[in-house]
Amino acid sequence: MLDFTTITTAIDQYLHSVMPAPAATLTECAIVAICAIAAYLVFAIVMIFMERKVCAAFQCRLGPTRVGFWGILQVFADVFKMLIKEIIEIKRSDHILYNLAPFLVVMSSLITFCCLPFAQGLQVLDFNIGVFFIMAASSFGILGILLAGWSSNNKFSMIGAMRSGGQMISYELSVGLSILTLVVLSGTMQISEIVEIQTQGWFIVRGHIPAIIAFIIYIIAGNAETNRAPFDLPEAESELTAGFHTEYSGMGFGLFYVAEFMNMFIIAGIASALFLGGWAPLYIPGLESFNNAMCWIPGIVWFLGKTFFVIWLLMWIRWTFPRMRIDQVLVLEWKYLVPIGLLNLLIMTICVVMGWTL
Amino acid sequence: MEITFIEIKEFRQTMLVKRGEGFDFLREMVGMDWEKEGLGAIYILENSITREGVELAVRTTDREKPQIPTVSDIWYIAELYEREVFDFYGIEFTGHPDMRRLYLRNDWVGYPLRKDYDPSEAINPVRLESETKEEVHREYEIEEDRHLAEMVEKLKILHYDQYVINIGPQHPATHGVLRFRLALEGEEVRKVDIHCGYIHRGIEKLCESRTYPQTLAFTDRLDYLSAHQNRHALCMCIEKAMGLEVTDRVQYIRTIMDELQRIDSHLLMFSCLAMDMGAITSFIYGFREREKVLDIMEEVTGGRLIQNYNIIGGVQADITPGFASKVKEYCNDQKKRLKEYYDVFVNNVIFRNRAIGVGVLTLEDAISFGATGGTGRASGWACDVRKRHPYALYDKVEFKEILHTGGDSYCRLLVRLEEIVESIGIIEQLIDNIPEGDYKTKTKPIIKLPEGRFYAAVEGSRGEFGVFIESHGDKMPYRLKFRPMGVPLIAAAQKIMKGCKIADLITIGASLDYVIPDIDR
Amino acid sequence: METRNTYIGNIIHAAKSLLTGMRVTLREFFTRKITEQYPENRSTLHIPSRHRATLVMPHDADGNNKCIACGLCQQTCPNGTISITTKTVTDEETGKSRKVLAEYHYDLGACMFCQLCVNICPKGAIEFSNEFENAVFDRKKLIIKLNR
Repeated sequence: MLDFTTITTAIDQYLHSVMPAPAATLTECAIVAICAIAAYLVFAIVMIFMERKVCAAFQCRLGPTRVGFWGILQVFADVFKMLIKEIIEIKRSDHILYNLAPFLVVMSSLITFCCLPFAQGLQVLDFNIGVFFIMAASSFGILGILLAGWSSNNKFSMIGAMRSGGQMISYELSVGLSILTLVVLSGTMQISEIVEIQTQGWFIVRGHIPAIIAFIIYIIAGNAETNRAPFDLPEAESELTAGFHTEYSGMGFGLFYVAEFMNMFIIAGIASALFLGGWAPLYIPGLESFNNAMCWIPGIVWFLGKTFFVIWLLMWIRWTFPRMRIDQVLVLEWKYLVPIGLLNLLIMTICVVMGWTL
Repeated sequence: MEITFIEIKEFRQTMLVKRGEGFDFLREMVGMDWEKEGLGAIYILENSITREGVELAVRTTDREKPQIPTVSDIWYIAELYEREVFDFYGIEFTGHPDMRRLYLRNDWVGYPLRKDYDPSEAINPVRLESETKEEVHREYEIEEDRHLAEMVEKLKILHYDQYVINIGPQHPATHGVLRFRLALEGEEVRKVDIHCGYIHRGIEKLCESRTYPQTLAFTDRLDYLSAHQNRHALCMCIEKAMGLEVTDRVQYIRTIMDELQRIDSHLLMFSCLAMDMGAITSFIYGFREREKVLDIMEEVTGGRLIQNYNIIGGVQADITPGFASKVKEYCNDQKKRLKEYYDVFVNNVIFRNRAIGVGVLTLEDAISFGATGGTGRASGWACDVRKRHPYALYDKVEFKEILHTGGDSYCRLLVRLEEIVESIGIIEQLIDNIPEGDYKTKTKPIIKLPEGRFYAAVEGSRGEFGVFIESHGDKMPYRLKFRPMGVPLIAAAQKIMKGCKIADLITIGASLDYVIPDIDR
Repeated sequence: METRNTYIGNIIHAAKSLLTGMRVTLREFFTRKITEQYPENRSTLHIPSRHRATLVMPHDADGNNKCIACGLCQQTCPNGTISITTKTVTDEETGKSRKVLAEYHYDLGACMFCQLCVNICPKGAIEFSNEFENAVFDRKKLIIKLNR
């Protein structure tokens, strides 16, 4: 299988050979940043288009068909529309915070995005507490949403922001617990290592029952983290018109929109890295020729395939269920997901200690 | 219709006695301007158990400061009806807790439905500045003689230190231009103040200067989801007054179209409830089937929303040759689709949690508010006009009156979905037996009704839709009043929304299934 | 039914109802879509013949219409949508003068399609047609002269 470390090392050596070390590092940082942002935008575009088409298919519609063949240019048309929209200054809003909020949200999701292991060696941030870092970075996106609601000087936004505060902080716990369950199973927190171990079998198979329970909890809590139905209360359009981003127009709204989609991508990406083996191909012990054949498929295809499968799963959920009420959202978290998650962590620990894993 | 006039001094006492006799349902309250005989109101009461009716009226000759004692404490719905009469006739109801205009702006000059109202634009120009907030209740205290009263200003409607938000007039969940002013405490609703009138078109006033055939076109524009039934009611009322009998074929066609319309409306109710609760996919599923009903109706009537089908003495055009087979095909398909709705939405645990026990309307309240239709039946009140006062062919077909006892949002949806099945049953009983005959009876080109007062009611898609006509022998009605289906619903909403969460407010609103053009006539 | 009230029973019941819902949407994911692609489907679009889109006055091959300028439609219209101007012509053979239609103006923008004019017309000179693509940029263009 192609190891991207060879490419990155080659670039690194080349840069060091033509310029002094600090400059080389700086150039590398710039290249990486540009690549990451480019990838971020490309995935956002793909996902917005996918959402439109998948949602349409679930609703027995065709979705966009006019702009470009099969509506393929629809997202670009949308972005163009957003760019030419007037940016409205809200009277008596807190201008600094109001303008800062969308960037906070995007920044948080961009940093988390950098932790995703796209293929062997193709990962921007990878260190020994990677899992903790992801959780920490993704949780400050909530700050942006709270600030957006607070600074908009709009009562609907305020209610939306308060809802999202209560909801996202609660569900962070479940996400953390289910990830911890996997950390117990893998014995490491470094994402690249976690994926490396899974070349010998994906965790969802190796950890069997507790891993599957953790996966389900993770999907539910992840859905809540991204504010998507049935947990889309912060922006429940039939209650709060648009919730925390009611007062944003043009690209301010566009950034929230992109960040929401990318958060979904990140949730799906982490799910695929931790539970479904990331870039690790399908491995069935005993079928060596089959495993070798699977290895010919590049890791990035594996990773994206799994991620988009999880995204499709999330969309399926989103386009099936009605919205929950705020108290029910919290009941689900504190009375169901957290206790089950804790119990599950215990079961997993016992399994690992007793060697009951596959 | 025989009306008993009551002396103003004995009015309250008589009304209390009537209430004691079991007349617990105020079917209709019509404000009237009898010119020389004075201003007043007609009350049509009904006993919800024996279904016996009584019509009473009260009037006062004082045109400067007309006052009538309130009955809003006897029948809850009178609170809004009296505000409407105050709005249009300027009659002040002594003892009413909240005497504000219901539809028009606070700064409106004059009372538009009075016969001597001056509609000139100099008096009421198009005002471009926003309405001044009227935060004060006006209340008239009843004194010893139950007539003369002094106005006192009472508590503010909403306090300035409350967290007040406006749901509407432009809001995705109000299904039109209705405005709720909410006082919130966190997520909880403390007080609801409803503002109507954003699309009031003065249809009742317009009707007074239109000939009877011309008034027909307005009914399709009241509750556009009961277009057939509304028009059926008006045609029935006029035919009753004229003493005109329509042919059997017409009765069959009208009944079938009424039921198709009911299916259409109930499907829309299901869909919109789903959408308000965030299940957009269910919304589209509902609309997918509704489209087929509309196609069938368009084939026959030429309209999808504005049907324009019933006319005095018959229907506009005969049914098309392929009608029966199309309807049967649709009915079979719909029955299968209903299961899908239950699977994807109704039985869904998230929806059940959000709807069961939310917005409970008790049986007593439902009757007192006059909340007929699916809402009343969800509370256990057998209020179906088709059973109470059968018209057209409803005494000949077999169908069940769906009753639930929960009174919550979930029951209100179930009633609608089960009524779709009943409606399909009615259609299937009739569709193969449509007798031959004329599809309309010839009428004179100029229709004049004999002097008198006439009331006819049908079961609209969301309750009893009534038409009251007072004729003075002209070719135009002296007074034409539509009994709205929606006003009782929003009156009930005001009560049951108190104490719920914002999200519940949306659920309750959608499950009550009001249509704004019907409230704002 | 009893299991619904226990903690585990609740979870199982909820999961079952959610999965039923997901099964329905999944099936829908693969069924044929119902979108109608107007205006591409103009050639196959079915408009019922009774659909009321605009008022027209049919003319025969010689360009004659059946209108006798009696003005009943104008009188019966609730919105004052129709306005008729007449002129008096003298029949050359008999020498009698009679009223004929000069111009028949119809305001599509104010019409509410109540069909009273069509119903009352003694000669069947006017009818509603299916031409539904009537959008224009100026309200004045909606005032149409019906006779030729």
